[in-house]
Amino acid sequence: MAAIDVPEVQKFIANTPPFSNLSHAQITTLLTGMSLSYVRQGQKLVLIDESATVHLIRRGACEIRTPKGALVDQIADGECFGVLTVLAQNPDGLEVIAMEDSLVYRFDKQAFCKVLEQSESLALFFKHTRQHRSRKLSRSQSADLNTPVLQLSTPIEQIMTRQLVQATLDETVQVAAARMTEARVSSILIIEDKHLVGIVTDRDLRSRVLALGMSAEVTLANIMTGDPATLEPTALVMEAQTLMSEHNIHHLPIVSAEGVPVGMMTAADLLRHQELSPILLINQIHRQLTVESLARVCQQWPTLIVNLILTDMKPADIGKVLAAVSDNLTQRLIELAINELGEPPMAFQFLVFGSQARSDQSLGSDQDNGLMLSRAPTEVEGAYFSALARFVCDGLGDCGIRLCPGDIMASNPKWRMTRSQWQQVFSKWISSSTPEALLKASIFFDVRCVYGDEESVVTLLKSMQTEVANHSLFLATLTRSALASKPPLGFFRHFLLESSGEHKHQLDLKHQGLALINDIARLYGLACDRYRVGTIERLEQAIYEKRISSDTARNLMDAWHELNALRLEAQRRHWQSSGKASAYLDPSLLSPLERTHLKATFAIIKDAQEVALQHFAGGYA
Amino acid sequence: MLTSLFNRFKAWRLHKSSEKRPWQEWDYLVLDIETSGLDPKHDHIVSVGWVLIQNGQIQLDTARHLLLDGAQVEDSIGIHLITDGDVADHGRREEGVIRYLRQLLRDKVLVMHHSPLELGFLKAWWQQLKQPPLSVSWLDTLAIERTKSTRNDQPIQEGGFRLAPCRARYGLPDYQGHDALTDALATAELLLAQVAYQGKGCRLHDLLEIGGGHVTFTSKQKFKR
Repeated sequence: MAAIDVPEVQKFIANTPPFSNLSHAQITTLLTGMSLSYVRQGQKLVLIDESATVHLIRRGACEIRTPKGALVDQIADGECFGVLTVLAQNPDGLEVIAMEDSLVYRFDKQAFCKVLEQSESLALFFKHTRQHRSRKLSRSQSADLNTPVLQLSTPIEQIMTRQLVQATLDETVQVAAARMTEARVSSILIIEDKHLVGIVTDRDLRSRVLALGMSAEVTLANIMTGDPATLEPTALVMEAQTLMSEHNIHHLPIVSAEGVPVGMMTAADLLRHQELSPILLINQIHRQLTVESLARVCQQWPTLIVNLILTDMKPADIGKVLAAVSDNLTQRLIELAINELGEPPMAFQFLVFGSQARSDQSLGSDQDNGLMLSRAPTEVEGAYFSALARFVCDGLGDCGIRLCPGDIMASNPKWRMTRSQWQQVFSKWISSSTPEALLKASIFFDVRCVYGDEESVVTLLKSMQTEVANHSLFLATLTRSALASKPPLGFFRHFLLESSGEHKHQLDLKHQGLALINDIARLYGLACDRYRVGTIERLEQAIYEKRISSDTARNLMDAWHELNALRLEAQRRHWQSSGKASAYLDPSLLSPLERTHLKATFAIIKDAQEVALQHFAGGYA
Repeated sequence: MLTSLFNRFKAWRLHKSSEKRPWQEWDYLVLDIETSGLDPKHDHIVSVGWVLIQNGQIQLDTARHLLLDGAQVEDSIGIHLITDGDVADHGRREEGVIRYLRQLLRDKVLVMHHSPLELGFLKAWWQQLKQPPLSVSWLDTLAIERTKSTRNDQPIQEGGFRLAPCRARYGLPDYQGHDALTDALATAELLLAQVAYQGKGCRLHDLLEIGGGHVTFTSKQKFKR
């Protein structure tokens, strides 16, 4: 039978490279004998007999692995697998595993080969794909031994903890707590008649016993989570990950088909298993020899962040971890640039601004950076630093730290200056207090040195502090400008939300919340004698120097932690569902209690804004 | 007389036991029809679209989209965007279409989303055009979805059983078109997803149990579950 026009299929093929270049007749040939199947997450696709052909993912995601389980490639909508199978009879026995429920087109092998013969561009494309995968394959095989890769399709039984800590329904919380402490675990399984009936975690002991002032003699039956979510030992790691993030739990009992517990899986186990500790990532970064391989290593970065968020790490600590990773990445890129371009003609410093300087990066942060040279460069030297900066900024971009939309990057000649030039620029901003200067202040006044001798940067900062102290008007203007944005707290117990666009009726946790606290902390930070760059450090310094009441500062820090946790969680959710790290929150998804809490948080920001206005601008808004 | 009864009993037994075979050993014809209205007595079929599932896969080559001859389409234009011009260009005689369909359906399971409408119109068609009788098993992806939601105790809201929201629950893509063929393909994909979620060893029997039945189309009205 000849293929006929199925509009949705035709449209998809015609819009998917490399097929989009084919003629109508070629597409018709390609569609001949094509079939469509649906595979569940975790299912393995066998490429033998009539299925030993090229497949195209219509919707979903798959992993290509070696028989030993090393990752070769991850592919999604509009990408093909089975290419090696057709072009080289799959000599390596690669396996394909669905990472998500996927809808997959399967081309008829003969029809596909026929079109391949007709279309040179198609043949080239697949030859390239094949080489690309072969390259990745040889890498991942050498990686089998030393570089652990994400093993989302490993069965849980290979990594779960088999030591079981158990209690019965009628035992008291105190007995259970003692047993947990002794075994150094954070959860205990409640067993009745060999079967799992419930679970109690550290968090339960805190929130259901201590917080409510209950007696230590309460039995576990009264406080346990009954009938908890479980998986069987043959389930895959990614299923565990999905389940834990869906239910927002950190402990997952593993239970045999008969309902008997056989193991325990915690979020920490997952993290350890994936070998995605920040330290390991940093080690890997320092071992890479090309930007390309750095970029590959950094593909794990979003997963690392997601995992850190899932393991309930404190937002401030997540920020520090991420700063450490991006600092190391930047340093490694500079080293690679020097390898390529030769030794620099003079000492220089690589400066970072904004969120990287404050150590509160998260998913999807962009880069803000600049160079500080020890003297005015000659033309040749200028060209050297221009090349170096381009190398580093592009490299950061390849590694997932987006280029700065405002072009505040070392690759922009405007932000490659000597120390005295930087000093002049800062001093101009401080003395002029123009709107542009104030806008710049919110980025450039958060600055840190990640490469080169820090001493010159310290000198620069000192001169900036002095300048600020001498121009009291600057802080007053900066205060009024910072306070122009109000937290979204209406008078009628309603949130003032984005009223249009993609994020209609959603709360922008970053710009309507966190940024306001960062602004306040910057004001106090600039007024302090000692320059600190992180928001929390600035507030602590201000308390120490008695420039802010300890109550106001502590409340503000709590608010910052609170909002940051919400933002990270929102970003994680958006990231996992859409691959975009949006910090928008739909308040209708919050419980009434959480909403009240969030409102109180915004009220704190508003109060702190009033205080800052009194302190820096004499109360004149 | 007795022998023939016995033979029919044997055929019935065979049929019943074969339903216990894995689902992919059966062929399925996934059908969608566009009509001029909702009442089989007064309205008529404008177009039919179908696609076959064989060996557990949708065979895209088998997709067909037929507009019927002389169908008057003013009322339904808003919904399906078929114009009188389309009918003139591609129109087929009803009689030919139904014989084609009848032949295809002989050894297959009929699949629809929201079966009462399709079954009602097919029944009326058989009566009008005096076709030889045909017995088929049918599956309704909407009924399957409804049974699953009741079993899981996760009630689905008003409108949640329409094709698009059902598909969205399985991560299937959003299709723009709503002609009979696109809807038939969309229904076929939904069935594959539902089967995948039934787990290993899903049998036709299980599917009939949660959202299907048997129907005999005759020119004398006869209808049984």
